[in-house]
Amino acid sequence: MTRASTRPPAQPEPAKTLAPPSRRGSAALLVILAVLGVATWAFVDLRINVATVVDSANNAVEFAARMFPLDMPPLGELLRLCGQTLAIVVCATLLAVLLSIPIAVLAAGNTTPHKSARFGARGLIVLARAVPDVVLAIVFFRIFGLGAMPGVLAMGLHSVGMVGKMYADAIEQIDERPRTAIRAGGATGAQELASGVLPQVLPAFVANALHRFDINLRISVVLGFVGVDGLGYGIATAFRKLDYQRGMALALVVLVLCVLVELISGAIRRALLRPTDRRAPRPAAGRTPRPRADRISPQWTPKRVRRALYVAVTALVVAASVWGAELSPARFLAALGGLDTTLGLFWPPELGALLPSLLADLWVTIKIALAATLIGAVLALPIGALAARNVAPSDSVAATFRGVVVLIRGVPELVLAIVFVVITGLGEVAGALALGVGAIGLLGKLVADSLEEVDPGVELAMRATGASRWQVFFAGTVPQAAPAFVGHLLYQLDVNIRSATLLGIVGAGGIGFHLLNASRVLEFGVVTTVLLLVFGTVLVVELIALWLRRVVR
Amino acid sequence: MSIGHLPEALVRFDRVTKRFAPDVVALDEVSLNVRAGEVVVLLGLSGSGKSTLLRQVDGLQQASSGTVTVLGSDVGKARGTEARALRRRIGFVFQQFHLVGSLTVLENVCTGALGRLRCPRLGLFSYPKRVRREALRQLERVDLAERAFQRADTLSGGEQQRVAVARALLQRPEVLLADEPVASLDPESAAQVMRLIRDISVEDELTVLCSLHQVDLALSWGDRVIGLRCGRVVLDAPVQGLRRDEAMSVYARVGVDPDAVLATTG
Repeated sequence: MTRASTRPPAQPEPAKTLAPPSRRGSAALLVILAVLGVATWAFVDLRINVATVVDSANNAVEFAARMFPLDMPPLGELLRLCGQTLAIVVCATLLAVLLSIPIAVLAAGNTTPHKSARFGARGLIVLARAVPDVVLAIVFFRIFGLGAMPGVLAMGLHSVGMVGKMYADAIEQIDERPRTAIRAGGATGAQELASGVLPQVLPAFVANALHRFDINLRISVVLGFVGVDGLGYGIATAFRKLDYQRGMALALVVLVLCVLVELISGAIRRALLRPTDRRAPRPAAGRTPRPRADRISPQWTPKRVRRALYVAVTALVVAASVWGAELSPARFLAALGGLDTTLGLFWPPELGALLPSLLADLWVTIKIALAATLIGAVLALPIGALAARNVAPSDSVAATFRGVVVLIRGVPELVLAIVFVVITGLGEVAGALALGVGAIGLLGKLVADSLEEVDPGVELAMRATGASRWQVFFAGTVPQAAPAFVGHLLYQLDVNIRSATLLGIVGAGGIGFHLLNASRVLEFGVVTTVLLLVFGTVLVVELIALWLRRVVR
Repeated sequence: MSIGHLPEALVRFDRVTKRFAPDVVALDEVSLNVRAGEVVVLLGLSGSGKSTLLRQVDGLQQASSGTVTVLGSDVGKARGTEARALRRRIGFVFQQFHLVGSLTVLENVCTGALGRLRCPRLGLFSYPKRVRREALRQLERVDLAERAFQRADTLSGGEQQRVAVARALLQRPEVLLADEPVASLDPESAAQVMRLIRDISVEDELTVLCSLHQVDLALSWGDRVIGLRCGRVVLDAPVQGLRRDEAMSVYARVGVDPDAVLATTG
């Protein structure tokens, strides 16, 4: 306050009215422009354009002829496949949650016992995120044999990369005051966590677990191509036998299942994360009877009954899934016994004659991911903006576009990839288009959410100056959401590199093909090389993202 | 700025009622006139309708019934371009400043000119040079010119509120509305901001409507006090000759000591 009390010297008339560029800001701008430039080049280089798609229309017609009529398996078989897929996904997500909670407590700045523990935990999270689940699955198949366990472990461990990070972030965002009060009351560290932290983060924990459940459901289908039981395995087997009628029928089932699960979990998440109504409830005379004087627990109101039912249903689903996935601790322990010989197969990495072609295909994968992110951004920015309630011209427009985003998110990338492989033939274009369109689902949601999260006061203040709708959007809403956009785009690029690797397995170009091939012909050294290459790439992207997020705030 | 040709009542409420739900009445048949150049303080408990009243003036909220006339136009009937043209002539200062923290102070001030610019600011480009120059001049008036290129979120609360005042001034307003402008500031910054608003309103011949919580500040600052309780005007008197206990009566509730209420509402 004191510094402002002295008037600055009167400035000469052409006063400097543009902020001097800062070095970090310019560097960030250069990096962003470079990434954009390479992405545009990749887009052009892959020859993704309307002509390519139109040229391939014949393929589509031909394929459609072989696809119909769809051949649904008998109902019992179908239910068994769905049940198997769901059981594996539930177990994987449960494993991820159980592992993520302690890791998140160590990784959150406000609950970690020591700085080194925090770095260790954060490192574990990044590691889990950077190792693609399909590679984990291949490794675990070698260790544990076919069945559900490799899928559960692969998805469960990889999910820690996202769930652990989200949980740690949720813990860091809590209100510290209740916790301080509990500590002031003489509570132990564990009591503090249980009574001060847990109640605040529980909704976020459940919501993130559900979100991951959606993602794992889609991934489990792709993992079917490397041998994880369930619907994906059914699709993979059908395609291998060129039985497109059965394959596409199962793909349709996957699509319906994904959209259903997405809708249900979305509704639950929204209900959980809705801010509580702060206004005191109106005292309704006569409706709530006075509790008896000796009553020490809440009454069984319909609300409490409903809550108890939810908990019971969840417990049942989890129990049924653990039983259904046929996880056998005995086999797990037996396999651990032979761990060293199995892991010996994967070491050392194969660096022989294959390396040049591996590097070339890695570059193709990166190009696919970049082009897909560009396509996704171009499509998702307007769609996300229209889905944001504070930006859309009316609530019904916002609801419509939210619906579009949810629907696209429900479509598994695998189904998209199959559709595009059909249209454009095997190769990079199919992969990039599938990932690009699929990106609308995640990116559109993130864009809409970050637009809705801006301070509404700023928009109000701008409206009060007489600004029009567009002016409010560009001067008030976008500058507030822009740093989040940069973060989301980099996150999407990160996701796309891993997904591009995955989709290579089904023939959408890139390094994934080598992965599948190598695991088929038992060249596990090559699997390790591919793993290291993808891991390195993802790590580089993570580091760039980390730096950019710190600069662009 | 000449205000001679304007009708005498610059802001006129005629039996204005505002409901948020059938049973939530924020303003209840409020009628009042504010003449050009008057500095009016609104007093009242939280939830008594002060903010709602101010938002009726520049049409950020529409009345449920009754008419609000400001600068000769009917706020309730103004739509689109007309509403925006009216808002441009009315500056608004908010309790929580409402600045874009990631933009520079100067750019935040420039947003005050949006009402008379035609294009949206496209993010990549900055504002026209003449706007930026004028913004810098307004920043000099609030003593923050040397902070022009700092990010807005690096400023203290009092400084941010002065930036918000500069933003409102860039509109070249005729009426200035302030919704508890100092409620989240420490006493020293609060005094500084209130002095600034007072000086500028005299200099630019502004008509001011400002809601406040501090009775003593209100009595030493305004020309006229309007007290609201449960959406009704319960006091409307010139500051000259108004006793402190009369002003305090606005805060009285049945069986509640007004001083105790003040202590809890700050």
